[in-house]
Parts: sequence; structure tokens; C-alpha cells
Amino acid sequence: MGERSVHHLLENSARLHPQRTALIHDSERVSYGRLNQEANCLASFLRQQGVTAGERVALLLENSLCYVVSYYGILKAGAVAVPLNPELKAEGLGELLRDLEPRMVIVSRKAEHALRESDPDRLGISLVLVQDPALAWSGGHARILPWEDALEQGGTEDPGQCGSPDRLASIIYTSGSTGKPKGVMLSHRNIVANTDSIVAYLGLTEQDIQMVVLPFFYVMGKSLLNTHVAVGGTVVLNNNFAYPASVIAQMASERVTGFSGVPATYAYLLHRSPLAAFRDRLSELRYCTQAGGHMSRQIKEQLIEALPPHTRLFVMYGATEAAARLSYVEPERLREKMESIGRPIPGVTIRVVDDQGREVARGESGELVASGANIMQGYWRDREATARALDHNGYHTGDLGYQDADGYLYVTGRKDDLLKVGGHRIDPQEIEDALMASGLLLEVAVLGVQDELLGKRLVALAVPLDPATTAGTLLAGCLDRLPRHKLPGEVRFVQALPKYPSSKVDRPGCLALFHSPGADAGSERPAPPQPGTSGEEVRP
Amino acid sequence: MSLQEEIRQFIVDTFLFGEDGGLRDDSSFLQEGIVDSTGILQLVSFLQERYLISIEDAELIPDNLDSIGKVATFVRSKQAAPGTGQATAQALVPEPA
Repeated sequence: MGERSVHHLLENSARLHPQRTALIHDSERVSYGRLNQEANCLASFLRQQGVTAGERVALLLENSLCYVVSYYGILKAGAVAVPLNPELKAEGLGELLRDLEPRMVIVSRKAEHALRESDPDRLGISLVLVQDPALAWSGGHARILPWEDALEQGGTEDPGQCGSPDRLASIIYTSGSTGKPKGVMLSHRNIVANTDSIVAYLGLTEQDIQMVVLPFFYVMGKSLLNTHVAVGGTVVLNNNFAYPASVIAQMASERVTGFSGVPATYAYLLHRSPLAAFRDRLSELRYCTQAGGHMSRQIKEQLIEALPPHTRLFVMYGATEAAARLSYVEPERLREKMESIGRPIPGVTIRVVDDQGREVARGESGELVASGANIMQGYWRDREATARALDHNGYHTGDLGYQDADGYLYVTGRKDDLLKVGGHRIDPQEIEDALMASGLLLEVAVLGVQDELLGKRLVALAVPLDPATTAGTLLAGCLDRLPRHKLPGEVRFVQALPKYPSSKVDRPGCLALFHSPGADAGSERPAPPQPGTSGEEVRP
Repeated sequence: MSLQEEIRQFIVDTFLFGEDGGLRDDSSFLQEGIVDSTGILQLVSFLQERYLISIEDAELIPDNLDSIGKVATFVRSKQAAPGTGQATAQALVPEPA
């Protein structure tokens, strides 16, 4: 079993259940048999084109059948699948492609313009497959072909090729908390090991139907795909989460059994969707999972109340560098361990270590360091960053935390985010939790801005549930939860926090927004948000 | 300015930085990458304040909001029956079977 490659998950399900529905997208329903055949066609086409093992093929695609066929087709051809955000602008895209040197790019209409602007000829790309092309291309070096034509040219048999499970399968770019994106290199073994663990602890079977609103180009979306393909389940793709009511309605009509989101997903579902009205109609919703950063106790409690009684909530923790997942809290213990990230998943060890790499005692604080077959091989062409993240202890998450007497882990903040305010080391997460506990906010970021006297002074960028909320009311509610020196000196209200496309809060973007003239100090009317810095998108 | 033109003006000023870039009345905001989920909420705030209508959570669906034309039709239907909430809106979330 240990020698399986990622595409064997698909081949196995296609063999066992060729007629079962693998994927639903709008009106399209695709069986495992068809999905595997199309992936084989693409793999065979790629080989005809001379794509060889280890070469990178970049995907600039939103969640779609084309994405899924391309992902498995590339892996079947022995190449490396590199999904990129199709909303990247030409400049950022060009930078990534220069770093990556892909042999080929598969692009949808949405990203076609940005790719053409980034000049694939100059980047040494030899072939571009365009799904549903809208632009006139005049390639010099690069051949441009419609995606559909490529599928027609390939054969439908499983390629049967098998290499070492330690060969590179995928590179996933992560924005990290600062600096330029890093390409996380994941091997077939990394991804298969993590897929097996997730399937085991979620108890996934071929009966499971997952609503997917998270993008496949990030690791959490990718793990939703691989885990459901591994068990012969179904993924329902809905790219319209901006209109949450339509997602909830489809969850009911498709009788989905699982839903997954990041904290912002759940904040929006709770406050901007008819979730409560649909509660009785989500009869098959067996579980919801949450990862992608810390979700406040407030939102967890509201979510438990809002979800149908038969729906179990899994709070989980992970990292792109871990192929997705590192730990989870069993739903049965969630109320008791509300602030915990749980215990390691099967096959993963997490230790809490001090600055010298020594394990600390239970209850003491340190950095969380993870090891297991799912831990990445390193960052693409970045030895320095790799050396900082990986050592003999495993992967240094950069998250600070501790372990309680029952072995449950807690993240208290990020190493990078600690703020030094007037001599105190302050973790913004603690303050954010206290502000969220007021029940007045949709989301909040606590930041440190330069201050001559204090070094840094604390400010909060907050999204109120009710536009009439004032800074005074909000802070008054925190007086019994926080010591004075941890109360933000200023609160600014905005309509949304800047986020990375991964939906994680973009702290540098928040800081820029705080300093922009658009945000009013403690104003009663929220000012419109500005997009985050460096072309990052703002979205839940 | 007509309702349609006002909505176009808001979309162009807020999300396209003044460049209309071939935006048609039936261009899908999401598929064309013009407006993301935060943008939809900005649009909803604008519509509520400018046209004094109340938009329910259940009305946040593409059929009501995903193009200039759809928004204009939606706003007109809300204005035609003020104060009656979501029952007046077009293309509500269908009742699941």
C-alpha cells in the first residue's frame, strides 16, 4: 500500500465503481470511469508532447472538471502538477512562472489574459492548453492548443507507470505570513499518507458527498478532492460562495454529507446566509470541518447551535507543508477542548520545543514541530527557507503553543506575529478572541503600529455585525476579559478584512488598510475596504 | 441617470477603478472576476442605502446580483413592493425537495 501514487487513488475508484458519480459541477455529473479515461487521455497527450518525469505543468484553473482531469492527468504522465491561483495578475504570475520554469501551462478563460500578458514565450513555456479560449494568441515559441483538442489526441488506458513514491507530485505555493510566496514540494508519499489519515479519522466512505467551495489550488481544497476520490465518494463543486444562499440550497438539494471551510467561510455562513432557515433540510449533513487558521470560540459555539443536531463539527489544524493536515479535535470532545487544535492525526507526531529544539514539559510554551510521512520535501529552489523550516526534529510550524495534560495541543499565536508593546510581549490572537467574544463582530485583526513611546501600540481593525456598533461599546465589553495594557488603543471599523486568496487574514494588508484614509477611527459607518497589498484578493 | 447606469457607475468606480473594460449588462461579476465575495457585500450595502431596500440573506444568489442587468431587475422588483422583504424578490432560493 505504501507504494501508491496519488493518481492510483483515482484509478482504484474507477476500477471499483466506474459508474459512480465522482464530480458534480452545475448541471454536469461525471462518473469515475469517465474522469479516469479523460485523465488518461491527457496523460497520453502530455507524453506524446515529450513531457517527462519531474517537469512542471502549471494549472491556472478554477475548480472544474478540467482542473480535476488535468491534475490527475499530469500525475499519470509522471509530471509535477503546480496549481496556481487563476486570479493572479500578469506581474505576480510572471514572477511565479519564472521561479517555476514549467514546461506547459493549462489555463481557463479567466486567467487567459494574465497568462498572455506575462509572455509565456519569454518564460520558456513550450505548450499552452486553453480551455474555451477567448483571445487571439500568436505564439512564437509556445504552441497554443484548445484543451478539448488535447483530450481527443490521447489514449484512454491507464499508463501503468510507477516510480518511487518519493518523487515530486505537486508544488503548492503558500503566501505565508510575510514575504514572497514559497513553493511547497509534496511527494506522492506525502499526499497519499495524509489522504489515508484524513479518510481514517473522518470515517469517509463511498457514500460521502462533499460540497467544495474552497479552491483546489490550495492544500485544503486539494485534500478534499484526494480524500473523496480515494474512497469513491462525490465532490460537488460550487464556485459561487460569494452568494452563500445558493451554496446552502445546493447542499440541501444534492444531499451533501460533508462541508469544509476556513474561519471566514463559517463567519459568512453564520451571518450572511440562510443557514438557520435550511437547518432542517440538511438532513444528510454528517459533518463539517474547519481548518485554515484559528476560529474564535464565539463562532464555534454559534456554529454548533446553527448546524443540525446530527452534524458533527471537526476543528482541525494543518499546513501546506504538511500536505494538509496535522491534528484534529474529535467532535465529542470539542466543547471540553474548545480552544484546542486537538491531537495529531494517525501517522503524525507533534512536539512542543524551545529555541534550542528541546522538548518542553506539558503545559509549557514552545514552537510546534511536526513529523510524519506527510511532511514536505522542502521549498522549491529555496534552500535557505527549507533549512529554516525543516531539521532533524521535523517541520517547524512557526506556531507557538502548548500541550495539556490530556495531550491536546493549543496554538497561542505565531512566532512572527508577537507584538512588543511597552515592554510586554503580546499575542494578538488573545486580544482578537476577547474582542470576538463581545458578540458584536464578524471578524477582527489586532495589529501593532509604530509608536514612539511604546515601540508598538495596539490597534484593531474590526468588521461589526451591526453598523451602529461603536469602539466604546466594543472595548467596554472587553474590560473584564483583558488587562488594560492589552486593550487596543484604537478601533477602526471596515466592511471586511483584507485576505489572501487562501482566505487567511492578510496582516500586512490590514496594516495598510489601517493607515489608509478610507478607514475612520471608531466611526459609526464602516468604510469600504481596500484590496490587500501586492495584488492579493479580498474575499471570505 | 437610469437605474442601470447608476449600478454600472458604482461597479466601474468601485471595482474597476474607473475603467469599464468592455463590461456588458450581462457580464457575470464572478465569472469575469470583477467582483468577489467581499465585493458582493459592498454592492449589497450600496443597494440598500441608495435605494432604501432591505436585502435578505436568502436573496444573495447569482440570479439576483451577478450582473448589472440582474441587479437592476432585482432592485426594481424590490421597489415595486416596498417593505415586504424577501417574498417580493425574484429567483429566490428554491425550496429543496
